[in-house]
Amino acid sequence: QQVDEQPQPASFVPSEMLMPPDYAGQFFQPASNSDYYAQSSYIGSFDEEPPLLEELGINFDHIWQKTLTVLNPMKPADGSIMNETDLTGPVLFCVALGATLLLAGKAQFGYVYGLSALGCLGVYALLNLMSSSGVSCGCVASVLGYCLLPMVILSSCAIFFSLQGTFGTASALVIVGWCSLSASKIFMSALDMEGQQLLIAYPCALLYGLFALLTVF
Amino acid sequence: MHPAGLAAAAGTPRLRKWPSKRRIPVSQPGMADPHQLFDDTSSAQSRGYGAQRAPGGLGYPSASASPQAAFLADPVSNMAMAYGSSLAAQGKELVDKNIDRFIPVTKLKYYFAVDTMYVGKKLGLLFFPYLHQDWEVQYQQDTPVAPRFDVNAPDLYIPAMAFITYVLVAGLALGTQDRFSPDLLGLQASSALAWLTLEVLAILLSLYLVTVNTDLTTIDLVAFLGYKYVGMIGGVLMGLLFGKIGYYLVLGWCCASIFVFIRTLRLKILAEAAAEGVPVRGARNQLRMYLTMAVAAAQPLLMYWLTFHLVR
Repeated sequence: QQVDEQPQPASFVPSEMLMPPDYAGQFFQPASNSDYYAQSSYIGSFDEEPPLLEELGINFDHIWQKTLTVLNPMKPADGSIMNETDLTGPVLFCVALGATLLLAGKAQFGYVYGLSALGCLGVYALLNLMSSSGVSCGCVASVLGYCLLPMVILSSCAIFFSLQGTFGTASALVIVGWCSLSASKIFMSALDMEGQQLLIAYPCALLYGLFALLTVF
Repeated sequence: MHPAGLAAAAGTPRLRKWPSKRRIPVSQPGMADPHQLFDDTSSAQSRGYGAQRAPGGLGYPSASASPQAAFLADPVSNMAMAYGSSLAAQGKELVDKNIDRFIPVTKLKYYFAVDTMYVGKKLGLLFFPYLHQDWEVQYQQDTPVAPRFDVNAPDLYIPAMAFITYVLVAGLALGTQDRFSPDLLGLQASSALAWLTLEVLAILLSLYLVTVNTDLTTIDLVAFLGYKYVGMIGGVLMGLLFGKIGYYLVLGWCCASIFVFIRTLRLKILAEAAAEGVPVRGARNQLRMYLTMAVAAAQPLLMYWLTFHLVR
């Protein structure tokens, strides 16, 4: 029996909104479109649906691995982990930073988001201009977001005691150094640019320094 | 339509509903995909899932699946999807082409071809230019050599980083004086950018009025004018550590250095003969000389204007 259905143009757009748990085709970046429809003549069943988290591309194991990479800046990075442009972890860390700032008495979510967006754009432009091979904006956002984790630690310290002293300044400097070291290490391994680690680390340090300004003052 | 579809489902062997939503199977995660730089390695997990799931079902209701399965199965919506994604690719190409019209990306890449040694030497030159002899930029077959190879060539990395560092240091200074709030950061950045734009426009206007034909591009000018931010940062930092005395000392030092440093600009504006120190008569050259001196004199003024309110 033919399995070709009558065309249903009316359901083209609304079906995305009707069945969000099933239709998550936007999350993967298509490399070649012909593969999608190679087996178009079928009627599948609901049982072989992939689980929701997998369809959304959220892989908690990878997120945890990447977090551990960031938390240990001395260990050499494996360039392939950062190949996924996974934005779940970064968004989570941004929200965590905003939440800890809120607990410390500063409701500055808008500044956190605005600064991270501008910073991502700036570092994306800089890396594309400086390196011979380009990067995608998603990769930059992902790396910068993961390396924001030590800043969350700093701002959670700010809840308990004020950072406006010698100890606060010193710890802010250490945290900024930690963040930018991790970020530049991952960029170096992903972009393969030798001899320019300091040049990459400095813009990242500036961005995290701006975050530290928000946290400390 | 739907009953026919369901009947077909009963008769045919069960297939995966979304067989190729993942990409072509790559043999290992992290392998370079020719279409994009970074692989989506989460697809490595999904292939494992797919193999496990195909034989067994989980008893989910299949009624909700059929409209979607039906919609994806028919050739018209296949074509529509393919058209939609090719449209997206076309849109991306269009954006890339138009960006190139407004922002000359290849020209900008020249100014960012730096390495750590160049940056170090240039910063040293900015603070102590008195021992440097040869200020000419080397040329290689009519095009100037990349900054990586010649310390006299202008670059945009240092000015850009110096600008952002200036905003950061301004925030730090305001914070230590308890005057900080995050919107002040934006205010400082915007005002410094506005002054820079004003300066560039003023110099371009005067170059036009004096009818000087030089090979000084706008980006070169931005680079030269951006170097003063390094001195400003030094001044403010010293002011934070040692008070007003330190601020004035370092600012005076950096102003003197900028005077000397503007020699590179002079070489570009003046005619060749005049630049080598041989006095050449003529109203034109005098005008050019005055212009260069005006630019050089404006630098310390701006450096003071943009930093004095930060040091108390």
